[in-house]
Amino acid sequence: MNFAFLRNSLRMRLLAGTLFWITVSILVAGWGLGKLFHRHVQAQFEAELRNHLDQLTAHLVLDDQNQGQLRLPPSDPRFNKPLSGLYWQIERTAGVSAHPAKIILRSRSLWDETLVVPADTPADGEIHQHRINGPQGVVQRVVERAVTVDAQSLRLIVAANESLMTEPVADFEGYLWLALGILGIGLTFAASMQVFVGLAPLRSMQDALGRVRHGDARNMEGTFPNEIMPLVNELNSVLAQNADVVERARTQAGNLAHALKTPLSVLANAANAPGKQDDELARLVASQIEAVRRQVDYHLTRAQAAAAVQVPGMRTAVEPVIQGLVRVMRRVHADRPLEFVVLPDGANLAFRGEKQDLQEMLGNLVDNASKWGRSRIEIRVKAVSGKLHVVIDDDGKGIAESERDNVLKRGVRLDEQTPGTGLGLAITADLARMYGGDLVLAKSSLGGTQASLTLPLV
Amino acid sequence: MRILVVEDEPTLAAQLAEGMRSAGYVVDVAHNGVDGHFMGEEEAYDAVVLDIGLPQMDGMTVLRKWRGAGHGLPVLILTARDTWREKVAGIDAGADDYLTKPFHMEELLARLRALIRRAGGHASTELVCGPLTLDTRSSRVMVDGTVLTLTSHEYRVLAYLMHHQGQIISRAELTEHIYAQDFDRDSNTVEVFIARLRKKVPPGLIETVRGLGYRLNKAQ
Repeated sequence: MNFAFLRNSLRMRLLAGTLFWITVSILVAGWGLGKLFHRHVQAQFEAELRNHLDQLTAHLVLDDQNQGQLRLPPSDPRFNKPLSGLYWQIERTAGVSAHPAKIILRSRSLWDETLVVPADTPADGEIHQHRINGPQGVVQRVVERAVTVDAQSLRLIVAANESLMTEPVADFEGYLWLALGILGIGLTFAASMQVFVGLAPLRSMQDALGRVRHGDARNMEGTFPNEIMPLVNELNSVLAQNADVVERARTQAGNLAHALKTPLSVLANAANAPGKQDDELARLVASQIEAVRRQVDYHLTRAQAAAAVQVPGMRTAVEPVIQGLVRVMRRVHADRPLEFVVLPDGANLAFRGEKQDLQEMLGNLVDNASKWGRSRIEIRVKAVSGKLHVVIDDDGKGIAESERDNVLKRGVRLDEQTPGTGLGLAITADLARMYGGDLVLAKSSLGGTQASLTLPLV
Repeated sequence: MRILVVEDEPTLAAQLAEGMRSAGYVVDVAHNGVDGHFMGEEEAYDAVVLDIGLPQMDGMTVLRKWRGAGHGLPVLILTARDTWREKVAGIDAGADDYLTKPFHMEELLARLRALIRRAGGHASTELVCGPLTLDTRSSRVMVDGTVLTLTSHEYRVLAYLMHHQGQIISRAELTEHIYAQDFDRDSNTVEVFIARLRKKVPPGLIETVRGLGYRLNKAQ
């Protein structure tokens, strides 16, 4: 038999254990109670029979012809009702006449039947019991006693249908098992409820973890029972530690950038100082500084993003990030007639990932669009088949189809006059791929470039 | 035009000051945030180049304090952390532009020119006032296409007036914008510069508003 389902489910384990003990307890209780009741009923039944026998004995007298007579009939009316199930009979066994025994008296209830009791000779004062087939083949419980009156041996017999005893017992057992059955069902239901209610916190813990994985929450929220709260706290501290690691990586990367770039600025300015532009060494320094800067930018951004992609529970609303970038662009390009239009379709969408990474990707794209656009930049956020799409259009001169792949490569710039590192698009494409997304450049309906960024959606 | 440079790295600060001076600006340098903040509050500058990573008080705090106190002077922030988070934070704190280290001096100067122009409400790189044309890129002033020969102080006075043409500029204001902080100022020298300029530009262009100062006559 396969008990795999027990290993796999805590609920099934608890339920199976409880059900086993409920079943055993009910069977034992039913069997024990039945036995007890049976013994009680039997004892009563036999006591009643003996009672009748005593009455019979007490009322027995011999008349003038030495025949047995009853001074008073037995009091129970059933003795007078034909085939009522309660009988008595008096036989003469030995002494005067020979065997077979002669029936001298019997109850009216016997009608024209007789009780055929196996030959037996109880000692004086003893009561013997028998089980016989009585009138109409009905099983009878029989008590008998031997009495000697004037040298006559008499046998006094009282019999009753066994069913008078077994029927209440069967009745009782029927009700007993019915009651126990209902009890069993009730207990099973209660046990299931207990398991369900008892394990409910596990279910809500699972939900809380699910929310973290889906990026709806940074850590597991809610209160849990004392037994699993430590587990939840541990999980939360692991999550917090994860976020800490990312934050530290970012800070360190930022510090490194700061430490490197100020000296680089000094070098670059020295190399570009008036009168130095024609100097061979100065030109070499200037070109190498540019190379160092690109490398630093590129690898720092990648390192930061690589750390963040691993962390679950990230969720960044897209709209505020775009608004922040548009504020920057409006300010920086205040002297140009640029119109920024954020189309309101996907106002509530969120990106499954780090805010800073989204800022980097969108910042580079919006920055490019602002540099090249003439008068209008359109930014559209939408959800398409479970993915987040950010589409940025400009009305600049656009990028020739043959150049589109080229600009996504590291450090390639199409125009050396417009300031920039030439890394923006490459970094954006790299970041998008790290998140399992994509960056595609196309011709915009506005006339310039359309950049479509695909990213995981929360 | 008077510029405040707040930069803690001494060599870079010196290079910045040198580059701007040779472009015709008057430059004051502060080496930490507290000094920078104080100078920005107390002195009249036409623009500020503000490094973000500063000792004692970081650039972002300096900027927020200025904006909080209602100072609208144009600020260009220099940042070493080339992240958009920082750029957005800088702009939201009140910066007008940003530049990432390392940068080219020419680019910094171009951004600075644009900031000062924008602050004066001018869209073009060339400012025009009657027959006068100021090319902010080359720091030259032309009268009907002929380049004027000006000393650096004369240029500063004329450039300031052209950036604020039509407004009355007091002698004290002119003095503040043409001399560095540690210079021994004498507002009488302004009169000398104005007198010399009047000989070089078409007559009637520079008006004296008695008791108040000077005005560049736009209608001319």
